[in-house]
Amino acid sequence: MSRDTQWPRYEVFKQDRPDKPHAAVGTVHAPDPEVALLNARDVFVRRPSCYSLWVAPESAVFKMTAYELETQPNWWVEELPEEAPEETYHIFNKQTQRRSMVAVTHVGEVTARSPREALRKAIESGQFVEKVAYMWWVVPESAIARSSEEDVLSMFEPAKDKTYRDQSYYTGGVFARRSQRRPEDIPLS
Amino acid sequence: MNKKLQQALMDRLVAMADDEVILGHRDSEWTGHAPILEEDIAIANLAQDEIGHAIIWYELAEPFTGNDADSMAYFRDARQFRNVQMVELPNHDWAFTMLRHYLYDAYELALLTRLVESKFEALAKAAEKVRNEEVYHFRHTSDWVERLGLGTEESNTRMQRALDHLWPYALQLFRPMPLDDTLIEADYFPELGELRSAWEQVVIPHLEKSDLKVPDAEPIYAHRHHHTEHLVDLLADMQMVARSLPDAVW
Repeated sequence: MSRDTQWPRYEVFKQDRPDKPHAAVGTVHAPDPEVALLNARDVFVRRPSCYSLWVAPESAVFKMTAYELETQPNWWVEELPEEAPEETYHIFNKQTQRRSMVAVTHVGEVTARSPREALRKAIESGQFVEKVAYMWWVVPESAIARSSEEDVLSMFEPAKDKTYRDQSYYTGGVFARRSQRRPEDIPLS
Repeated sequence: MNKKLQQALMDRLVAMADDEVILGHRDSEWTGHAPILEEDIAIANLAQDEIGHAIIWYELAEPFTGNDADSMAYFRDARQFRNVQMVELPNHDWAFTMLRHYLYDAYELALLTRLVESKFEALAKAAEKVRNEEVYHFRHTSDWVERLGLGTEESNTRMQRALDHLWPYALQLFRPMPLDDTLIEADYFPELGELRSAWEQVVIPHLEKSDLKVPDAEPIYAHRHHHTEHLVDLLADMQMVARSLPDAVW
């Protein structure tokens, strides 16, 4: 019997602006997709900016690294039932090592009968990579829960009014300086 | 604005701020102790948000009180606070904490929705801003009420126990303050009877849907200047640092 009492993990995909792709920023534990969305907001969107959040159960995300693709030449081989239905799969990959806070970024969709087939189609099409992809993720459309456009005002906008100070702001030590208190200096976040 | 209207407005703004700062402090007590890491972060967010709202209301009242938000929060004693008793009760378990927050969030959301129309423009403007955030709080705590109510036998039992205890306290939110009529007449503040029925229309169906029975109990109808013994302990904790170093710069 599993001794793990944690809730299942959900991958969180954050979109900063409508013209930017969703990017994988980390995971949250949650009992269901609705709570996963709220937890994602509280953990990853306390700071601006965010326009949209997607969450998907970690167990529904198919992941392959470039190393795995290279060392497992038959990675795509699987037995699919003849009438396996087609579905939309979202393709994510990592094409730069510079964005350390982001695992993979959304690059498009393909229609396929399984995650492996979706990944094979995505790679063969050549349209999702500029130079090199270090890692690929495939997420079925049916596994994704999303924030809506109406949520922007209540979930993401308020963060813009918060004072955010990095810990380096407080280098002087809390009690080092003494002068008149200034209420506008009370950090809200 | 005449003297009586100023006094009425000040009383209400301070009552609103006191509700928020005390609830925010209770929320903050969960930091490091919430049942799961994500929820620990969420309730710390809630605490900061509610205290942030308190600052907004204290600052709106500042021209009348002559005191800034820090002085109001840290340098008044229990008898000077005008919060309802519900928010000063100790946290007890998670069910109690979430249910209290839910009952309060539903009240605050209904109140803010009406304050957006207030003829006191500064209040209407602030209400609009705070309301966006409160929509999110309400969603968060409604989700918890539903999940704990419909969860296991134990979670339902704990929620029902919390509801039986909290319901009479929640009704104190709808007890008018002495000068409310002046505010209502000026279209500055909504009438509390109407606010209560709007609140009941939201919370009663949701509680019932969550398999909880709304108790038929007498309201705790204390004036806002009457407090339980718990407020004294809470303030001792909340005000200790500010009072030991009143001129510290953060």
